[in-house]
Amino acid sequence: MTAAPIAIATSQLRKDFGRHCVLRGIDLAIPVGQCVALTGANGAGKTTLLRCLAALIRPTSGEVLWWGRPVRDESQRRLIGMVAHESRTYPHLTLRENLLFAARMCDVPHPADRVDWLLREVGLADRAGWRPREISRGLQQRLALARALVHQPPVLLLDEPFSGLDAAGSQWLCDTLRPLCQRGRTVCFTSHDPLITAQLADVVYELQSGRLHGVERRWTSLPTDAARRAA
Amino acid sequence: MYKFWWIVHKDLVAEYRSLRVWPTMLLLGIVVALVFSLQLELLPDQKRTMLGGLLWLAIFFAGMTAIERSFAAEREDDCWDGLRLFPVPWSQIYWSKLIANTVALGALECLLVPLFFGLSGAPLGSHLPELALVAILANAGLAAVGTLVSALATSLGRSGNLLVVLVLPLAIPVILAAAEATRLIAESHIDAAWWRWVQFLGAFAVVFVIVGTLLFPAAVED
Repeated sequence: MTAAPIAIATSQLRKDFGRHCVLRGIDLAIPVGQCVALTGANGAGKTTLLRCLAALIRPTSGEVLWWGRPVRDESQRRLIGMVAHESRTYPHLTLRENLLFAARMCDVPHPADRVDWLLREVGLADRAGWRPREISRGLQQRLALARALVHQPPVLLLDEPFSGLDAAGSQWLCDTLRPLCQRGRTVCFTSHDPLITAQLADVVYELQSGRLHGVERRWTSLPTDAARRAA
Repeated sequence: MYKFWWIVHKDLVAEYRSLRVWPTMLLLGIVVALVFSLQLELLPDQKRTMLGGLLWLAIFFAGMTAIERSFAAEREDDCWDGLRLFPVPWSQIYWSKLIANTVALGALECLLVPLFFGLSGAPLGSHLPELALVAILANAGLAAVGTLVSALATSLGRSGNLLVVLVLPLAIPVILAAAEATRLIAESHIDAAWWRWVQFLGAFAVVFVIVGTLLFPAAVED
């Protein structure tokens, strides 16, 4: 059996902000199709690591590789979709216009059809003409997810996607992310919630003081309902 | 390839719906024009001599309110990171902001040029093509410098007043050249001296659009 290729890897990744060292030599390799959770206390460096993985910030030293290649070319950005703390949507455009803009930026063929399909998938079709600030936090997360998936990226990065969501919202997100992994999409998310990480992640990494500690393999396959309840 | 048009479209639609910047910019320009007209007791010839300088200073200071917002607006709701994640070359993001700023400055010029000429009693209609040429070239130069510095100031987290301080030294050659070219038009002296100012404005615009395109990735790097 051959090992799955590595979707995203870091090599001795270090990130300083001034004299403050946030990441201290992170070595990480996320195989294609794996769902990885990054946990850790506030300020541990989870968001910084995720932003480095997305090539949004340049590491002080070390490097980030997407499919074995350093991130240099803007066309490589097609490989990544990201959901952040903020919705990253334009407040004066409607939900549909926001998704259409993202689809056009990513050269999605037939952008209008794709956007209408996505709006239906995330349950926002009836609010397509609304503006982002007119919908709840939970619906904004759905919009952010739709925006990240508009170009069907093979890797999805999510920064605290469950924060501010109620139980139903969290369950919806879990139910949406799980099939993505099953279909071979690589997912990496940060979370404080041990229950959610146990429910969703194949592998859990814990960041402490800028270092990766206690690599845990929680599930080798998707958890059964009984296992989920036990967790 | 033409993704920058979608960014321009998005920016103009957002401004049309929010009316956040243009009303302030246009009102500021009108106030300067009225103050110039009502407060300065000058002979008609003196007004024509001062027309160019006052017009372009008014366009510069009022226009900076629009240029300052071009990247600050992207920072809201973390949209800037969202834009950076799209597979769009940096050059296209720079050009899109440059075009949106050029449109804003163009709207301001459409309002202020007739207003200043009317209030100073200078003939506008007789040299309209020459005036349009000066306005287009000066507009491109100001927008090119302003867009680059706005990106830099925003990435440093210091937009607002700092932008004017940073842009003014770089924009002085454009303001001076445009003011001189406009004064010569107001005095109906379309001669070799006027043509040299126009050439200078054109060269400045070309150089700063190229410099802006090349330096933009470094200016916005986190």
